[in-house]
Amino acid sequence: MENRYWQSIQETKEGYKNKPEEREASMIEILANESNEKAASRRDFLKWCGISFFSATVISACENPVKKAIPYLHQPETLTPGKAHWYASTFAEGNHFCSVLVKSRDGRPIKIEGNDLSSYTRGGTSAIAQASVLSLYDDGARYKFPQKNSGKVSWEEADREIIKTLQQAEESGQKAILVTPTLLSPSTKALIKELEEQYSALETITWDAISYEAIRQAHAETFNQQIIPDYQFQKAELIVSFQADFLGTWLAPVTFANRYAQTRKVSEEKKEMSRHIQFEAGLSVTGSNADERIPLKPSSQLEVIMELYNEMASLTGRPVISSPGSSYNTKALAKDILSKKGKALVVCGHNSLEVQMLINAINHMAGSYGNTLDATHPLQMGMGEQEKMENFINDLDHGLVDAVLFYKTNPLYNHPQAEKLKTALGKAKLSVAFATAKNETAAACQYILPDNHYLESWSDASPRIGHYSLTQPVMQPVFNTRQFQAGLLAWLDKPADFHQYLKQYWEQNIFPNQNQYAAFKGFWVNTLQAGVLDLKQEAGISLSLNMSKVADAISRLKATTQQAAEIQFSLYENVAMHDGAFANNPWLQELPDPVTKVTWDNFAAVSPVFAEENNINEGDIIAFNGIQVPAIIQPGQAYGSISLAMGYGRSHAGKAADGVGVNVFSLTDKGQFVGKVTGLEVIDRGYEFARTQTHHSMEGRHIVRESTLDKYKEDARAGNEIRDYHLKHMTTLYPEQDFEGHHWVLMVDLNACTGCSTCVIACQAENNTPVIGREEVKRRRIMHWMRIDRYYTGDVENPGVVFQPLMCQHCDNAPCENVCPVAATTHSGEGINQITYNRCVGTKYCMNNCPYKVRRFNWFEYSKNKKFDYHMNSDLGRMVLNPDVTVRERGVVEKCSFCIQRIQEGKLKAKTERRQLKDGDVVPACMGACPSQALVFGDLNDKDSRVSQLIKDPRNYHLLEELHTLPTVGYLTKIRNPKNKG
Amino acid sequence: MKNIPQKRTKGPYLHAYILPSLTIGLLAWIAVFTLSSFSNSEPINSPSNQDMTENAQTAPDDTLTDAADTIAQEDEAQVDSEEFPYDRGDYTSQQTRRGERLFKGLLPFESGQHDCSSCHYTSAQEEINWNPAAWELAEVWAENPEYSLETTMNQPLTARLMEDHEGMTITREEQHLLEAYYTHLLKEGPDTLQAYPIRAFIFWGLGFLMLLAIIDLIFTRVIKFKGVHILILFAGIAVHGQFAMAEAQNLGRTQGYAPDQPIKFSHLIHAGENDIDCNYCHTISSKSLSAGIPSNNTCLNCHNVIQEGTLSGQFEINKIHRAEENGEPIEWIRVHNLPDHSFFSHAQHVNAGQLECTDCHGDVETMHIVKQEEDLSMGWCLTCHRENDVDFLDNPYFEMYEKLHDKIKSGEIDGVTAAELGGEDCMSCHY
Repeated sequence: MENRYWQSIQETKEGYKNKPEEREASMIEILANESNEKAASRRDFLKWCGISFFSATVISACENPVKKAIPYLHQPETLTPGKAHWYASTFAEGNHFCSVLVKSRDGRPIKIEGNDLSSYTRGGTSAIAQASVLSLYDDGARYKFPQKNSGKVSWEEADREIIKTLQQAEESGQKAILVTPTLLSPSTKALIKELEEQYSALETITWDAISYEAIRQAHAETFNQQIIPDYQFQKAELIVSFQADFLGTWLAPVTFANRYAQTRKVSEEKKEMSRHIQFEAGLSVTGSNADERIPLKPSSQLEVIMELYNEMASLTGRPVISSPGSSYNTKALAKDILSKKGKALVVCGHNSLEVQMLINAINHMAGSYGNTLDATHPLQMGMGEQEKMENFINDLDHGLVDAVLFYKTNPLYNHPQAEKLKTALGKAKLSVAFATAKNETAAACQYILPDNHYLESWSDASPRIGHYSLTQPVMQPVFNTRQFQAGLLAWLDKPADFHQYLKQYWEQNIFPNQNQYAAFKGFWVNTLQAGVLDLKQEAGISLSLNMSKVADAISRLKATTQQAAEIQFSLYENVAMHDGAFANNPWLQELPDPVTKVTWDNFAAVSPVFAEENNINEGDIIAFNGIQVPAIIQPGQAYGSISLAMGYGRSHAGKAADGVGVNVFSLTDKGQFVGKVTGLEVIDRGYEFARTQTHHSMEGRHIVRESTLDKYKEDARAGNEIRDYHLKHMTTLYPEQDFEGHHWVLMVDLNACTGCSTCVIACQAENNTPVIGREEVKRRRIMHWMRIDRYYTGDVENPGVVFQPLMCQHCDNAPCENVCPVAATTHSGEGINQITYNRCVGTKYCMNNCPYKVRRFNWFEYSKNKKFDYHMNSDLGRMVLNPDVTVRERGVVEKCSFCIQRIQEGKLKAKTERRQLKDGDVVPACMGACPSQALVFGDLNDKDSRVSQLIKDPRNYHLLEELHTLPTVGYLTKIRNPKNKG
Repeated sequence: MKNIPQKRTKGPYLHAYILPSLTIGLLAWIAVFTLSSFSNSEPINSPSNQDMTENAQTAPDDTLTDAADTIAQEDEAQVDSEEFPYDRGDYTSQQTRRGERLFKGLLPFESGQHDCSSCHYTSAQEEINWNPAAWELAEVWAENPEYSLETTMNQPLTARLMEDHEGMTITREEQHLLEAYYTHLLKEGPDTLQAYPIRAFIFWGLGFLMLLAIIDLIFTRVIKFKGVHILILFAGIAVHGQFAMAEAQNLGRTQGYAPDQPIKFSHLIHAGENDIDCNYCHTISSKSLSAGIPSNNTCLNCHNVIQEGTLSGQFEINKIHRAEENGEPIEWIRVHNLPDHSFFSHAQHVNAGQLECTDCHGDVETMHIVKQEEDLSMGWCLTCHRENDVDFLDNPYFEMYEKLHDKIKSGEIDGVTAAELGGEDCMSCHY
């Protein structure tokens, strides 16, 4: 373990407070400052003591309140009060797709899980899908009734006016425009088509804030097929990515993470893994996982792509087009790609037609099509049309458009010409927004017709040809809302029942394509129950490369790179915010960015050397191109580039999102996320980020153990040699605890974990973890039971990155248990480190004695407290709470319980079914949510369980095992596959 | 179903022990109250009661005294300030008072018939009274604006009711007065019986005696022999200490709690006499956390046909039909309440543990009103977990407990308790 890990940039600098006493001093300063804020005196304390003693006395003397038990008037036959019911559904919002199972308790959805039956997402979920259940109960932001100019209006009245305007537009030759995001729902698309036929003035524009149009167009240019192929990462042995964050946000990250992890997992049986090379400007989740990461500013990436194309062309005997040279050894890379012919995959996140054409050509030469690129099952995402949208804004400005209908789109927030659109919108006779919750566009429209949340809706989705997934409502609409599609049906003068329409559509269009069921009813019921359907459908596509167009592309690209500026910005999505559509979700706002660990903010990331040259310090507010944003010094950021996250800076989204971060969509240009930085200057200093990074530091010890594939092939214990030493010295005077029955163990495969942070949200949703807000996060009081530690290693300008999910280690010799003065934390007979909230008096001794720093203290009452006005402060918001988990009160310590409620449930189920507990009966929330299946939970006493096998793996080690805490959480060493230098 | 008075058979009095300074205040209050009750038969609100608690105090039934009857006061928990929906007309307070007296027999009816309150009680009762209560009559009357009060009297008309109400005629004016009283009842809720138990009198009396002893010891010195004072003080402190400890232990526990329910549903008649299985109504006890309160349609399975009860006539059964018509479920009062931080699963105990309902709930089939039989304390739970064997050998789930199986085979033990299988772990109930 020669690597030195460091957690923050300051640590690598001289003068960093390394000595514990110095840190202590700074801690005292913090504490002193804090107490000054409150300035509570001893007298105050006594006063409050007196009052609380008195009130406690009075309250305890009161009778228990009378509680009522109110049964159903007519109990639904299929519903058992107190028992969870699961419904298969689909989270499909714009380009985001995830087949899910919705857990519903007593009629209200409380948790999202992945649908294991899906061949596409394979039971994985994303952070936004996990958090989507909370937006259902967004009391403050959801539109509660149809409104016209902020006044109430009836559905009928709104429908009448829309129909009238549509008809008038037709008569007067004006346009009516419906703006939608990419629609994955085939039935909705069919319905919109019907509507377009009925009202000839109506035209639909598909517009996405995050555009993948270039990939689609590039395929049209090079192969004459306007498609996005399905990326088969699982078949790739060499993955080269340019700026594509395919594990975090790009296209279908849930699916790609799963496929990628398949190639990354190693075991005694499979000692092979893929090699991953990432070229990117900012350090992304995907880049963090790469075996070789090359930080390059966007224009330099294009140079590499051009050169790579030329190298490959010359190697395969194709014409070479002159191009500027690059700093990277593309010759070797070209050879590598060609040596893995048919097993290489090159992906690119630049939404530039020319670049994507080159990528297509490279993939074509690498033999990827038909192997790692599935063009016969193209993806249905990324249907956005940038140009149409711009034409529409111009038409609107010129008064050619009578009616504008926005469905689930928010261009007034995320279109670069938002201001122009806003003024132009006034020229339309009718503007209508269909939205579930507040947004900037709806606020500017005449009519707001609230749409159902997806958990209240019927729909379907097809993320790629041949794969279907159904959405079914899990509850009645909470407010007076109507599904968008039901509105369309009303305008078609049909019964406004989209459920019937959907069934009919499936009966006519999908049922005939299958041969498993003879009758539609059986087909429908079974498909609805499973949630997903695979059909043998293929797009008949023949691919032949159009070379001349590629040559054109290079010459055009050359021109742009020659003009390329010294400093460039690069916009990206992060795993929590994406394009900002789900920004008003306190869970997502408080989800630490996987790399920077910043919550509640976006920022401009600059490289350390660049920062020093330009005199930028961390927390400086920098200004360029008309925006002002605080800067972060980010190791691994490409020199000469500034990375900014999109999705922040909402102004009409609700109390959680409004004013958080800076809106950078004004920098986008025709779907391009990169550009020139002009007028960079520091205008202010001293901005403080709410980061979860520097506390919980565990440096200097063998926390993350890492090795390379070559070494691993020689010796499976590679990187984990120190374990033998620890095992040899593991002695105790005490008898070892015997775990009769079950012994629960969690194994974490560091090779499969991508750091996407889905598990963090899943844990929060399952365990009622409170949101505490930016100020409290700054005070290092974040409540997440599960965190993902991120360590850097090596060069500051291009560090290696490792992620380590960290939850309570459930030590069998737990240091926390010995120090509790009231025995509130104890060890169970099944190896679980228990915390009993009603016993805890809040001494926090256990927190101090925990070497892993996984225990959390409730500094405040986080529920029903208007100081913490997040979801737990409203009756509706509290609906999302899991009734099987106590909402902790102020003054108690909490931590990961291994989802004890699920263990108890699994055991009870086995007991009542009078059978043994099977491996996989108990799945904690983190494991269930993980798209790459990096976490495995099970019973060590079951000799055949997966954990029993994994714990014997030579890669297995335990955190800080030298302390003899005997954790039951095991980690499998991280193996990388860098290029052999020999 | 509003304003149902809650009869509490157990109430903690810890405040009284911790705040003896309130003693004098309360004694003074009782004195004032007793005096005023001679001069005015109307119940009065007690200000000190308002100051002290949100919910009024009630008494354990075993210590009920006749003296308590004199202390009637309104239960302020029942005085809802919400809008009164049933206003048929304005009645003066004079009319209301006269109506009440008429109902209670303090004023004679013109026809000379006996008063209403001899059958229809006006405040919470310790023993079940099968006749409809005054406020229930008021509710029926208010729900049907087209009915006159006299019609309401005979709704639903049965042979028994005809017999009981035979020859009862009331004049227009009497009707009007009774209506005034009904309106008052709907607004203010029923009278609540407020009783102070013997234990409280002992406590306060002793406190007073101790106070006197101290005063005499220090200032007045009427009794020369100091041993008397010391004896009083020692005895008083001992009794007070014992009371305080007993109350503290029972804090938050409600053993013996048997609240009045919105329908006088008798488990004795249903589960006892008619021998209906518990699971017929509590259908989910073997598969869910809760045992399930039957929904209205479960009741109607039988009561579509059975329209009249032996004890309550049609009035109680009719409430099911009324709920059905109004579309509002019956709001039962929860008898067994566990603290929020304790997770209890009926499925675990009924299905996996194969316990009988009566093991925890007592002989429900002998109860008219369901009573909380056990104290539901943690000690009670753990005792059962420690003492009783589980279905260890028959349930294949337990096969993985190999060492325990070996012990059974070798005869070392003859059964396995829940505690040995993790039933004592904190997180088996608290999470």
